[in-house]
Amino acid sequence: MKNNISALMDGELFEDEAEALFDGLKRDSEAHRDWAAYHLIGDVLRQPEYIHRDISGRVRELMRNEPTVLAPRTRGISQKVRNIGLSAAASLMALGVVMWMSVQITPETTPQLAMQQTNLRPASLQTQSKSNDYLMAHQEFSPSNDMNGDASYIRTVSYSPEEKTQ
Amino acid sequence: MADREVDQQLVERVQRGDKHAFDLLVSKYQRRLGRLISRFVRDPGEAEDVTQDAFIKAYRALPGFRGESAFYTWLYRIGINTAKNHLLANKRRPPTSTPFDAEESESFEDAGLLQEVSTPENELMSKQVVDVVQQSLQQLPEDLRSALTLREIEGLSYEEIASVMNFPVGTVRSRIFRAREAIAENLRPLLETSKGNRW
Repeated sequence: MKNNISALMDGELFEDEAEALFDGLKRDSEAHRDWAAYHLIGDVLRQPEYIHRDISGRVRELMRNEPTVLAPRTRGISQKVRNIGLSAAASLMALGVVMWMSVQITPETTPQLAMQQTNLRPASLQTQSKSNDYLMAHQEFSPSNDMNGDASYIRTVSYSPEEKTQ
Repeated sequence: MADREVDQQLVERVQRGDKHAFDLLVSKYQRRLGRLISRFVRDPGEAEDVTQDAFIKAYRALPGFRGESAFYTWLYRIGINTAKNHLLANKRRPPTSTPFDAEESESFEDAGLLQEVSTPENELMSKQVVDVVQQSLQQLPEDLRSALTLREIEGLSYEEIASVMNFPVGTVRSRIFRAREAIAENLRPLLETSKGNRW
């Protein structure tokens, strides 16, 4: 614990470690004396010309007659900074999701799909014919379609050379 | 976690009803606040009483402290006001007529105006404590002494000390602790035998 008291005095402990240490100092009077001694050493090294009597005992006595302080919890600077950081991170993440979704439904994807479709060879003519009918009937609901709502008014003409040869 | 954040954490504990946390703040700031008040109230006994009053006033006012300024700045302001009120109540003028800024109080020096007065007993005890600390410091191995001096007097962080001394940060932490503990070991008999644990 002494090692941690020394580190805490120098601002080198994390918040949760400091909380645990404060709990320990409350239980352990020996550790409290170490806290006081280390601070005395620091004060002597910085201001050797002024070292007065320890008044903490007298203050402690007077404090016994004081009602216990209870106040709404205040937010420290670090907590404020952390909250701002979390808000900014959440905003950036939301923005990223929106941008990703908009990229997914951009018009550029349509020609690529069209090109891919021309290279595909159907597994069977009968299946393609059925799926074509289905796709044509529901084309207006496609998210990649630029002509939302107008697709149903477009007449589709298809030509199949294999059907002609039969 | 910076020093200000450590204080804020202690303040929040006090605000949740933990009186012991305030005790830790008193141990930490009593000499700095006492030194500031002694610039206004020259009699050492009176200065101690005023310092004690300032801490009690600070404790009562803590529910209203929201952490907008550093705790020590807020505490010093209470100390200065308590000292000025004490002088006015005793029909004495404060040593300075210009507004006194708590932020500048640490560097305020006017030896003629604010000369510290001490009793022979206080002087002797003070001298003993200072001697033990300084002698213990001189007896420390060079690397421990340098690490502690850079931290306590120069105010360098562990990272800066590690860079200056070319040690890992973990080594700096352990050397500063060992230096403090070695000095405290020599100081403890004096602290324990002093009447009422005066130092």
